[in-house]
Amino acid sequence: MINFPGKTFIVARHEFVKTIKRKEFLFMTFLFPLLLTGISLLPAIFSDMTPAEDQKIGYIDVTGALEFPQSVRSEGLSLGSSEARTSVMEFVMYRETSDARQSLQAGRISSYVIIPGDFLETGTIELYSLEKEAPVPNIELSAELSDIVITSLLKDKVDEPIINRVRDPVNIKFYNIGESGEFSEQGIAEIFASFGLPILTAFLLLFSIFSSSGFLLRGVAEEKENRIIEILLSSATPSEILTGKILGLGTVGLLQIVVWFAAIALGSGYALPVKIDPVTLFLALIYFVLGFLFFASMMAGIGAVTSSLQESQQIAGIFTFAAASPLIFMQLILTDPDSSFSVFLSLFPLTSPVAMLARMGASSVPDYQILASISILFVSVHGVILLSSRLFRAYLLMYGKRPGLREILKNLRAGSR
Amino acid sequence: MYLIWMHTVEFQSVSKSFSEKDIIQDISFSVRQGEIFGLLGPNGAGKTTLIRLLLDIIRPDTGEIHVFGGLLSPAVKDRIGYLPEERGLYRKTGLLDMLVYLAQLKGIPKKQANLNAESLLKSLDLYQYKNKKVEELSKGMQQQIQFLSAIIHEPELIILDEPFSGLDPVSTKAVKARILELRAAGKTVILSTHMMEQAQTLCNRILMLNKGRRVLYGPVDDIRRERGKNSLVVEFAEKEDLNVIREISGIKKVIESGKSVEIFPEEGINIQTLLEELVRRANLLRFEQALPSLNEIFIETLESAAND
Repeated sequence: MINFPGKTFIVARHEFVKTIKRKEFLFMTFLFPLLLTGISLLPAIFSDMTPAEDQKIGYIDVTGALEFPQSVRSEGLSLGSSEARTSVMEFVMYRETSDARQSLQAGRISSYVIIPGDFLETGTIELYSLEKEAPVPNIELSAELSDIVITSLLKDKVDEPIINRVRDPVNIKFYNIGESGEFSEQGIAEIFASFGLPILTAFLLLFSIFSSSGFLLRGVAEEKENRIIEILLSSATPSEILTGKILGLGTVGLLQIVVWFAAIALGSGYALPVKIDPVTLFLALIYFVLGFLFFASMMAGIGAVTSSLQESQQIAGIFTFAAASPLIFMQLILTDPDSSFSVFLSLFPLTSPVAMLARMGASSVPDYQILASISILFVSVHGVILLSSRLFRAYLLMYGKRPGLREILKNLRAGSR
Repeated sequence: MYLIWMHTVEFQSVSKSFSEKDIIQDISFSVRQGEIFGLLGPNGAGKTTLIRLLLDIIRPDTGEIHVFGGLLSPAVKDRIGYLPEERGLYRKTGLLDMLVYLAQLKGIPKKQANLNAESLLKSLDLYQYKNKKVEELSKGMQQQIQFLSAIIHEPELIILDEPFSGLDPVSTKAVKARILELRAAGKTVILSTHMMEQAQTLCNRILMLNKGRRVLYGPVDDIRRERGKNSLVVEFAEKEDLNVIREISGIKKVIESGKSVEIFPEEGINIQTLLEELVRRANLLRFEQALPSLNEIFIETLESAAND
């Protein structure tokens, strides 16, 4: 079906060089990950820049059963740094609600709580703050109040270790047991590597396939529109041109993936010591190559049949939507990776590259299903390339009206003549 | 076999149809090495399809095409240069890069392609624009570049589809001179054109198509002679000698044009006697049978085809 003579490589090299000079490629490859990282880090950066505020909280304990400390040092969660950010929470007792309200209005306290008489039955505590204050729930105060309640109720009744256990009941540590019986602790990095990485790979794969096959669609449509395709066809066969384009732009896509993975490796090396599983990486590579060949050939066929770039993009959009559908069903795939629907998506060639990698992240996919998925994709790639090269030969030089579906089918059946 | 080797191109009973419409019907012809061969016909006659068949862009339904003595195959594409009717260039690519790429696609190594491109650009005084994008050049320059892209790999056969279309008289003259240069260099040129005047002055032989069929084929001179009119062209050395014509009997009609006249003798007049009479009375520069122009033949052929 395909041979790789010199002209294929000339076309491939031309497409590669032409595309990596495009502004869109440079943006998608280098600026896009930077932008993405920037956006994801912004909240953390801002939260680090904002100093933790000390709070003065008033309280009225109607039950008289709770023992409030004078002040507590509260530990807040910080995303950007390993050190926890701390703030001081001071408690001020009031006997009358009106006094507390006056203090609040005068700005001496930031809020006050009332522990009603029926607190032990209902567990309800009322928190009052000024209207102009941010209406977000005060998570730190809520956690401190829980600790105060537990300590007050259990003090002198049980030992301190038990009180501590009730306050912080469970800390789960995750361990993996290897095939030879050895076990290792699983930290956030390992969880990310086994779960997040395949999903991230699936996303990157889809982006890369779309951008490179989009370049192919655009290239073919433009060459057809500006009529240079006729000169190319007088110099090389349709197969040489098609294969060269796919090869050149496939390499562009691979380069993009390599840059993205290098960025992830560098970034994660800073944040999390992630080890990328070589099997996942290998399968990601196979799915990228096959997925790209599948979509690129399809885009080339669409580019050949349509008469303008705009028209080709409209038709390509239908297939792009189908290919992106695993993203729509991602939650379903992740929560129920072995359901019939998830399995179907991971076998169907339009969706399998993304769906299978996502499933692999969520569960242990049987080897035979991975094999079946790759085989189906491989056979489909073969078929799509064959059909596209027929369309390429039949329609590249037809301008004006787009052929009807019946005529296209007839030409596909007619073979390469 | 001997005949095939004599010809650069040979079509043998070639037919091609699209969507059950016959575009080329049983066409046979040959193009000799080193000649300018005209491919003529009205719009939709099948000229471009015939060229695409010759370039192996599309395949014939029936018949055989021989090029350079062998059956047509993708390998011969490197020996053919092509200027398509629908001009096309990479608009956003640098001039030199584009020419080098197109030459490489024709099998020329990159280094040689660079040398060829630079030398051609210098010959047309376009070297200073070598790094400019094609879209930054004037239309005239783009047309010149298009022509260069067809000959950059020094092909043995050059196919020019409507090379004069959209050109001003100066550019037309330049292209015409370049075509003659190619023939002088021993190249074979196939010239598809609507411009009969150019075809008449440039082409050695022609093939005229109409609705996919061959309607005229052969040397331009023979075709014109075969369709010679019943009139004579006489050119005098002095304009005053034109009056001599009126003194000679047996001439029913005279059309004057400068120092020349086209005369229509009456039936039964002996041409030899007429010539002797004219030589005796005036100083003659030319005396020959009036031949129809290719344009007249073109129109007449199409009209008679339409009436059939």
